[in-house]
Amino acid sequence: MKDIERFRKRAIFHHWWIVLCSFLLAVTGLFMFMETLSPGAMGGYSRIIHRFAALGFVAVPIIYFVLNPKTSLEWLKEAFTWNTDDIGWLQAAPEYYFGGPEENMPPQGRSNTGQKLWMVVVIITGVVFVITGAVMMFSGVSGVAVILHDIAFIAGGAMFLVHFFLAVFHPRMSEAMRSMITGKASEDYVKSHHGKWYEEVVAKGEQS
Amino acid sequence: MAKAILYDATKCTGCRGCQVACKNWNGLEAVETYNWGSYENPKDLSTQTWLKMRFIEKGGTETDNMRWLFARQSCMHCTDAACVKVCPTGALHIRTDGFVALDKDKCTNCGYCVEFCPFSIPRLDASLISGIGDKATKCTACTTAGLNRIDNGYQPACVNTCPTGALTFGDRETLLSAAQDKVAALKSNSHPNAYLYGENEVGGTHVLYILDDTPKAYGLIEDPKVPAAATAWQDIIKPLGYGIVGVVGLGLILNIMVARARIISREEK
Amino acid sequence: MTNHWIDLRNSDRIMIIGSNAAENHPISFKWVTAAKERGAKLISVDPRFTRTSSKADIYAPMRSGCDITFIGGMIRYILDDMQKSSPSERAEKYNMTYVTQYTNAALIINNSFEGALESTHPGLFGGYTASKNGTPGILGSYNKSTWNYADSTTPASDPALVNNTWTAWEDLDSKCVLRLLWENYKDYTPEKVEEITGCPKDKFLEVAQTYAESGAPGKAGTIMYAMGTTQHTYGTQNIRGYAILQLLLGNIGIAGGGINALRGTSNVQGSTDMCLLSHILPGYLQVPIHTDQSLDDYIARAKKGKDFITPQGLAGDKSASWWWYNDADPNYKKYLVSMLKAWYGDNATAANDFGFNYLPKVTSGDDYTHIGTFEAVAAGIVKGMLVWGQNPAVGGPDSEGERKALEKLDWLVVSDLFETETAAFWKRGGANPGSINTEVFLLPAACSYEKQGSISNSGRWAQWRWKALEPIGQAKPDLEIVDELALKLKELYTSEGGEFPEAITKLFWDFREGAAEADPNIAAKEFNGYDWTTKTALTSFGNLKSDGSTCSGNWLYCGMFDANGNNKAKQHDPVDKSLNQIGLYSGWTWCWPINRRIIYNRASVDLDGEPWDKDHPVIKWTGSITKWAGDIADGGWNPINLSAEGAKYLPFIMHREGVGRIWGDGRAEGPLPVAYEPWESPLETNLLTGVEDTEANGTPGFNDPCCYIGKMEMDGQVWNERGTPDNYPYVGMTYRLTEHWQAGQMTRNLPWLIELQPQPIAELDPVLASQKGIESGDIVEVSTARGSIDAVAIVTKRFQPLTIGGKTVHHVGVPWHWGYTGQCTGISPNGSSGNVLTPHVGDANTTIPEYKTFLCNIKYVRKGGE
Ligand code: HEM
Ligand code: SF4
Ligand code: SF4
Repeated sequence: MKDIERFRKRAIFHHWWIVLCSFLLAVTGLFMFMETLSPGAMGGYSRIIHRFAALGFVAVPIIYFVLNPKTSLEWLKEAFTWNTDDIGWLQAAPEYYFGGPEENMPPQGRSNTGQKLWMVVVIITGVVFVITGAVMMFSGVSGVAVILHDIAFIAGGAMFLVHFFLAVFHPRMSEAMRSMITGKASEDYVKSHHGKWYEEVVAKGEQS
Repeated sequence: MAKAILYDATKCTGCRGCQVACKNWNGLEAVETYNWGSYENPKDLSTQTWLKMRFIEKGGTETDNMRWLFARQSCMHCTDAACVKVCPTGALHIRTDGFVALDKDKCTNCGYCVEFCPFSIPRLDASLISGIGDKATKCTACTTAGLNRIDNGYQPACVNTCPTGALTFGDRETLLSAAQDKVAALKSNSHPNAYLYGENEVGGTHVLYILDDTPKAYGLIEDPKVPAAATAWQDIIKPLGYGIVGVVGLGLILNIMVARARIISREEK
Repeated sequence: MTNHWIDLRNSDRIMIIGSNAAENHPISFKWVTAAKERGAKLISVDPRFTRTSSKADIYAPMRSGCDITFIGGMIRYILDDMQKSSPSERAEKYNMTYVTQYTNAALIINNSFEGALESTHPGLFGGYTASKNGTPGILGSYNKSTWNYADSTTPASDPALVNNTWTAWEDLDSKCVLRLLWENYKDYTPEKVEEITGCPKDKFLEVAQTYAESGAPGKAGTIMYAMGTTQHTYGTQNIRGYAILQLLLGNIGIAGGGINALRGTSNVQGSTDMCLLSHILPGYLQVPIHTDQSLDDYIARAKKGKDFITPQGLAGDKSASWWWYNDADPNYKKYLVSMLKAWYGDNATAANDFGFNYLPKVTSGDDYTHIGTFEAVAAGIVKGMLVWGQNPAVGGPDSEGERKALEKLDWLVVSDLFETETAAFWKRGGANPGSINTEVFLLPAACSYEKQGSISNSGRWAQWRWKALEPIGQAKPDLEIVDELALKLKELYTSEGGEFPEAITKLFWDFREGAAEADPNIAAKEFNGYDWTTKTALTSFGNLKSDGSTCSGNWLYCGMFDANGNNKAKQHDPVDKSLNQIGLYSGWTWCWPINRRIIYNRASVDLDGEPWDKDHPVIKWTGSITKWAGDIADGGWNPINLSAEGAKYLPFIMHREGVGRIWGDGRAEGPLPVAYEPWESPLETNLLTGVEDTEANGTPGFNDPCCYIGKMEMDGQVWNERGTPDNYPYVGMTYRLTEHWQAGQMTRNLPWLIELQPQPIAELDPVLASQKGIESGDIVEVSTARGSIDAVAIVTKRFQPLTIGGKTVHHVGVPWHWGYTGQCTGISPNGSSGNVLTPHVGDANTTIPEYKTFLCNIKYVRKGGE
């Protein structure tokens, strides 16, 4: 069976880098969020980690953007381009993910609606995190900032759980996980899960 | 039994013995100051100044007699303590006697207490960028570990030093009723604006003020409140957050069970 | 204090004048506050609105230096009220029994006495001679021969007054004291008070009326005063004014009453008792003068004019004064001989007058006080100086002049905790160390926590303090320093001889008793006194002998030890066993005399021994067997009406006439205080006496006629110039702040206190500030004819312009704490002490400098800030 390249190496690195930073940020953030975990804050030293991780969280996407402006823009465009298929997907997804048949799922692009949704959440919460976090770092804690930061954490956290769960545990998503590690996905999987994109890829391949 | 410090402004002579006794007992350093045209100094509270006396001049005109008011500025030891509410680590906590204590080992320097205290009391000296520096500080009513006067049977250092009896320490109930009587007496004795500050403010504070005028005249915040943001944050957003995350988590567990079962059964078919 | 700190709480009316008790005696406010809680009214009279005023029920502003006008106005108010009230009303509002039976109000004065307000000698009593015009020194002096009672041993009293039957002044003998008092003060009307002091008439009347309410029998009023009263050319007369007021209101001797001098430091009372003043020996015995060739000469001179006076027509008929009651063997002599025995031990024998001639004697007429001493230093008469627990370079008047004078010394020894400005005078701003030949020694002294010993507080309580810490470095307690010094001097005088060595070599000096260091307990036992042969401690000055068998360094302190040799200054019984728990705490340490907590306490009871104030009884007669209960009664005799001994003893036992002196002939400038202007006054005419200020150095009748005008001339420069209102239009005054202590060394080296008051300040009112373009926080220069200092301006409504004689008078206030050494120094190189501004002039009776009022100018210098 033929593999199709779904992500380039640097995109993969970028993804996992963000995962790493987010993980650190989330964990050190949690120390400040849940009193029971507060000993983890080590009397405040966790906050340094949070700050370094935040730096990584901001810096790497910027570098990525500078190096790959086209892909980044495409990707951004993709994330924010929604059509009727996406609505259809959202309607059909619960049934599908609860093990229902796949036939009802509208064809999807390189990223399916769920993944796009996740991207949107990441971008929006990311921006909120960055702005509110920067406010707190550079001009001190303010009520609005810390609360928005927390709302972002809650929203992002909940969405992350879904994302993480699907990626790691969901029997139907193992291929997606593989693609995020190796960059490749099986043709079958791409055909069934990302029909639209498969067609694009095939078309492209025929041209070349 | 709830304890309290009672500050009777009508007895205070602004000697600032309390201000110095606080530094002495808590080992706080002198702050470098200059005279800015007032007896009052240092200008503000800081990590090295947990209690300061404000000097306020009023009147001094043909119609209005001169008055020189002195007001204590330090932690109020609120029952509804915003600082405790927002403190993420439990470093700030309310003791059974009602005083708001501070455990520096736990403090992470986050500064939430500084932001949310309605009286702008806590101070910390941390680099914003790194987040590291002097821990949050404020009056602990002499309950700081290692310097704990209260649990060793002494009164707070400021009270101990006050020459005039403007500061007293004891059971909140007792002090409150004495203070109520005094304020009632002041009211009927040409001080119609006399006020017992801290009786009901922010759930009742454990530092009570007998004032012969409005809190405003004494530079105190009129009708202080736990900031709505603190309440929204701690009492609504956070629980909601736990709820959302919980529901999502449960949903996902349910999902995996159902999905597995259904996929397996379909494959079996 | 006639009373004591705790007793303030028993007061109904408290007048704080010439004192800023809340700031300078913070602990006094524990008791003032307690009195207020009982409903007492607090009155603050002060040129500036202080932290004391902030707690007062009534604040009355007053131009600095106008106490006599103000108090005279109050006296007039009371006398007027007495006269206008019907006899029965009068007896309700005022304790007329007290006034007539316990004071000399009713006694008749010498017919030739001439009052102060007559046209021939305005502002002066009869018998005045001015000194040569223009020369410094005393402005003039009085022949006091007409100031006594008409009958000098058995003065008559006015029956209409004693029997309270009078209604008009004319009903009273024209020379009866109360009538003379009226004559003296009748012009001190509320309008006059306003015109001179600047205190609005209504405020003044509110004060007068409120305070006069303490005159009712059973009510108590107290006056708390301090340096604001004393530090004037007529400071003593200011206090006389208070005393008269208090006697008129029956406030002396009772709980919550008295005239209460708040001492400037913790042990000023003790140092005065122990004679750190040039005119007395320990226990207020007179200092010998050069004509006292023998002990008998001395006793005869001291006794002169001290015969008993027995007032006629009063219920009582005898003074209990004990100084001279046994002419052959007067107590005075017993005290002095016992003191000599303590000093010279076995070298004090009957044969050598108990060493009387070893005592240093002063030349009468010479001034040995602070001002006089520094003039002698400046003139090169005094060559060496020991400065101990003092810092005259900051605390002395015209302090730049005094610093300059120190340059004339051959040697200077300073014993202190820090290198004071005095010790460092040779490197002060503007001085040239190369041209100063004074050799300076700095002895490190231990501070109060590093030594044991006793201090006597303002309430006369001798309180023992124990050592808490070892002294730092080479520092030593004062006693050890003086002990080593004295022993070395003895050794040197013995081996090398010298001028009059016996004064030193014959000293009995053993404060070690074999130990390596001097022990304050031995000194304490010595000033208490003991039997010379058995060495057992004496328990009362009644046991002292004039035959050399007893010693006592200070008879007043005799009785501080019990028969077992226990020092009562160390006892701490926290239970108040006084009647009605009025707060005597007689078991808490010990006070002189013989643990009497309120002196003149026989005046607190009526003629039958019943307290005027039933709620606050100091003493109470309980019957011929159980006698007096309560405080140690002033003499154990029966109450006047229940006399068993034949003699009916009058209550003021220190006085020859046995009654309180409304009229008193002891002062230099008159038997009754007259309102004079300060040496430097903003006025050209004294608005009460009408005398114009015509003389360059002070005019008798405008100024106090007997005050002391100092002068120092060094290296062709004349110091202590007198400023005039055209150059120096504002009234300057100096004071202390809560946050600093005296000349500042102990507080300007303590960062926590520096933080509170980091810089010298100059306070002024907003009107003057805007005229001068000064804003709060600016650096300003305050100047007088003697010098100038820079300070931070505090522009405040606590200062208010006053209207005096139609013109606007502004005050400028400067604390005197700052100097040029230590962790916190002044702004100008001279250290910015307020005393750079003050004049070298002194009170007519004590020569205390007039620190509290002078003329100054002020100008903007630059912006202040960090
Ligand atoms: C550029 C990104 C970010 C910056 C500059 C930033 C900065 C901050 C700052 C300054 C605080 C306040 C506490 C402290 O001073 O340490 C904070 C708290 C927190 N941050 Fe961030 N942060 C960033 C991203 C994130 C991300 C991505 C997460 C989660 C995935 C996160 C989660 C949290 C949480 C949970 C808290 C604690 C709030 C609370 O106590 O409830 N932060 N952050
Ligand atoms: S005054 Fe401020 S710091 Fe003190 S208990 Fe209240 S909220 Fe906390
Ligand atoms: S010690 Fe007492 S009198 Fe002095 S400033 Fe503090 S509260 Fe006021």
